[in-house]
Amino acid sequence: MNQESDPFSIAIDFPQSHLFFPNIVHWVLLILALSIALVHGREIIHHVQGWAESYREHGLDYDRLRLFGTLGLVIAYFLLMNWVGQLFPNTGMGFLLVSMPFMALLSLLYVHDINRKKVLIILANAIIAPFMAWYVLAQLFFITLP
Amino acid sequence: MLNKLTKTLCVATACAVAAMPVLAADGPLRGNLRVVIGSKSTGGDTYQNSSIVAEALAENIGINVKVDAVGASEAFKVLSRVSNGSVVMIFHDQSYLGWLYGVKGYDNIFEEYTVGPTVAINPGNAYAVPKSSPYQNIEDIIQAAGKGEKIRVAIQPGGVSEIGFSALKNAVKLRFPGAEENIVAVNTGGQSDKNQLLFDGQADVINASVQANEQYTRLPEDDQKAMRFVWLTARKETIEQANPEGMGETSREDLLEFVTPNASVTQDGTKDFTFDKEFFFLYNKDMDPAIVEQIDASLKEIFDAGAIQETQKNSFFIPNFMPSAEAQSYLMDKRDQYEVIIESIR
Amino acid sequence: MEILSLLSPMFFLLVMFGVLVGIIFGAIPGMTATMAVAVCLPMTYGLDLTNGLALLLGLYVGGISGGLVPAILLNIPGTPSSITTTFDGYPMTQKGLGEQALKTGITASLFGGLFSALVLFLFAPTLADFAIKFSYIEKFLIILFALTVIASLSKRLLVGLFSGALGIWFSLIGTYDISVGGNGEYRLMPEFLVDYLESGFSLLPVLIGMFGLGTILQEAEKGVREEAVDSVKFQKGAAFSFSVFKGQFVNLTRSGAIGTFVGMLPGVGGSAASVLSYTQQKNFSKEPEKLGKGAPEGVIASESANNGLTGGALIPLLSLGIPGDSTTAVLIGAFTLQGIQLGPLFIGENLDTWNVMMVAVIFANIVMFTIMFFAIRHIAKVVTVPKYLLYPGILMMCVVGAYAINYGVMFDVWTLLIFGVFAWLGQKVGLEVAPFIIGFILGGQAEVYFVKSLESFGTLTIFFTKSPIAIFLWGLIVISVAYSVHHTVRAMRRKNGGSGV
Repeated sequence: MNQESDPFSIAIDFPQSHLFFPNIVHWVLLILALSIALVHGREIIHHVQGWAESYREHGLDYDRLRLFGTLGLVIAYFLLMNWVGQLFPNTGMGFLLVSMPFMALLSLLYVHDINRKKVLIILANAIIAPFMAWYVLAQLFFITLP
Repeated sequence: MLNKLTKTLCVATACAVAAMPVLAADGPLRGNLRVVIGSKSTGGDTYQNSSIVAEALAENIGINVKVDAVGASEAFKVLSRVSNGSVVMIFHDQSYLGWLYGVKGYDNIFEEYTVGPTVAINPGNAYAVPKSSPYQNIEDIIQAAGKGEKIRVAIQPGGVSEIGFSALKNAVKLRFPGAEENIVAVNTGGQSDKNQLLFDGQADVINASVQANEQYTRLPEDDQKAMRFVWLTARKETIEQANPEGMGETSREDLLEFVTPNASVTQDGTKDFTFDKEFFFLYNKDMDPAIVEQIDASLKEIFDAGAIQETQKNSFFIPNFMPSAEAQSYLMDKRDQYEVIIESIR
Repeated sequence: MEILSLLSPMFFLLVMFGVLVGIIFGAIPGMTATMAVAVCLPMTYGLDLTNGLALLLGLYVGGISGGLVPAILLNIPGTPSSITTTFDGYPMTQKGLGEQALKTGITASLFGGLFSALVLFLFAPTLADFAIKFSYIEKFLIILFALTVIASLSKRLLVGLFSGALGIWFSLIGTYDISVGGNGEYRLMPEFLVDYLESGFSLLPVLIGMFGLGTILQEAEKGVREEAVDSVKFQKGAAFSFSVFKGQFVNLTRSGAIGTFVGMLPGVGGSAASVLSYTQQKNFSKEPEKLGKGAPEGVIASESANNGLTGGALIPLLSLGIPGDSTTAVLIGAFTLQGIQLGPLFIGENLDTWNVMMVAVIFANIVMFTIMFFAIRHIAKVVTVPKYLLYPGILMMCVVGAYAINYGVMFDVWTLLIFGVFAWLGQKVGLEVAPFIIGFILGGQAEVYFVKSLESFGTLTIFFTKSPIAIFLWGLIVISVAYSVHHTVRAMRRKNGGSGV
């Protein structure tokens, strides 16, 4: 292997090798981004203009409550699960105790035309499902849960 | 409907209560103990060894012990976060070798954590060559490097797999100053990657293990996969404790051929380098010292009873119990010796 | 016959139990076959080797197969290797053909599983010798070949390629891991995130985050209107018949063979297998434009390949002592515990164990098929569960899966959220999820194989000159790219012609 005469030769310095491939990917991303701008540029501008126009006329049309409710509940769920879990180390209690209210609240957030029967089903589901998951996984199979 | 639901719930609660651990322990450890290990594999030696110890501990203390293969960086993170004694770690020499080699994510375990008791040795760390290799033994390799032949050694960088390589390079440096440049690392991943480099002729020597490579040494020479051990880094005394059957068709007697003094790699010109992969506990620095004592005492009972040794030996581990205080000074000394080697070839 | 004395009723019961538990694990998003085998490993301590293997192999086959259930019904891949099953399986469910898709999938799984078991039985040692001809270079080319699927999956070629490259970029975040031969240095992350991102993002949480939480966010934004997937349509769907397999024999065999073959290469892994066979089906299909829109042949290709994997991954395990994938890596532990040494001499020295394993694999596949075929009618009803009950349940199970995949890492749960939001927002600006995921799955391997090849040989030309296998793989890559370019151009012409430009 005489590296001098080979125009394709590449020497990789091991201490720096962690950057070699990421650099290639950066170039590929840049080139693709430029090509997209070139090929679809006009289309994208049209699209954005159209969107801005409809925004000025109608505002954003989405279910604010359900979207932000979901995000908020999920974040609270993850935070609380870990926090409660640390109160009862290695028992999976954080998962069990926090999953129940989380599931109930999320179901109540999503349900339409609420009635007594639906509420009962929701509550039952919110209690039984996490319990089953916890019992089978943490108790029978000894899987570590928060 | 509601009635049925209540019934289900009652039954379920009863099950949950029944499944709760018996809180019979009188020491500070109770409930559920989580053992995190520095390996992500549940098929590897760290997991296997930790399971043996965890099971014995659970039985002896009367608590639940669960081994979780979370890997080194996550294990250290959990360990430094949880100080209430509900999490302990089991790992091996990688824990300080990673730091000596400057791998990211490794701290000085002697400062950041409390080093606990040692429990076992995996004596299998080996170096192998193709069966058709011109190098008959490790001395041939050192001589060849001294004469200017380039020797490529496939290792996984930054730890247990590299330490033997570093020692070899250091030995060449001591005997043929300047020639250590001829010992070149081929950095790769696990055992299959190392084997593959040997099959491809991209490495002259590989870091291997008795357990994983013994069958390869029994293949006929014309098989591309055939290998030969040239060096086991274990101490002579360690191998002498193994079952006489050794591993596969390679008896303890055969294995002794590959350890010091028969295969000699000098450490400082006077004594030979040895490396035993030892498994030990690591604790959070602020953990209750009473727990340290309890685990020490419990392990002492377990090893005195003698059953665990049989289990360990059957899985080709060498029993090696040292209580915390002894283990700390021993491992610190071991670390200091390897630091000299790593520094000298830097 | 020594072997008959080893096969007790207990043996068959354990296989059945294993398959059942495996299917359940596989069917839960985020729970994998690997996890099923790992958590049940301690149960085998009390069993002898034969019975222990019966249980573990049952779990393995069941776990791989169960992944198709959520992939088809909920558009969430239950295991990474069922990612391509979602491409056609879920559209079929949307058309009300969920049950048919499931039955097509498991039949293909059965075929793939038996095919690979046969190959394992007949050719294991020979194939192992062939597998070691694949060095970093050939493995890189296989990954590159699998990556070409990005081109054919893209709705818009450039955007799809960009999404794929972005997926690769995300897969590189964190440490260049020493366990694959990297130098252990950090890259692509700011200093203050090092604590979290040190080990990068794990595949499974990313996968279920994007497919699970991402979808739920989309629905939440729209107000979770429909109560369930159109249940009326679902009931009316045409009955399943084996006639969907008419003309699919080549597809079945090719996919099974690809699965077996890829499974056999240590380190290349399961997801690459189904991705590759899906690409090939798309390339060779008579109606390639139907793939991705609910074509049974897509489900067949994907599922036949990922069960083909099981036999494939056992080949290097049993004839080299090297696991072909993460699940078989756990199996090694079971052997060592029983004092059985694996390696090139294993089969010869343990003929009985070997035969018993073959019986277990074959029986497990049959059990899998039987259980699934008759349970599917009920399982498929999952889509009729109202969304306000279904979504919280899915989220909860995704959390369990994400937390448990690396044996208890909280950051993996946050990964769910990060990639759920990323997928939801990304799709608004045109991000293509499938190419992104495929880039993410294959990115890490592409890096290691590419960089390590260059470290050893120091020249790019080696990728063309290393071996006849390399040249053959280049041939496949060129054909695959040519096909997708051809399809894209044709589709564009048609579109332009249609709109009268």
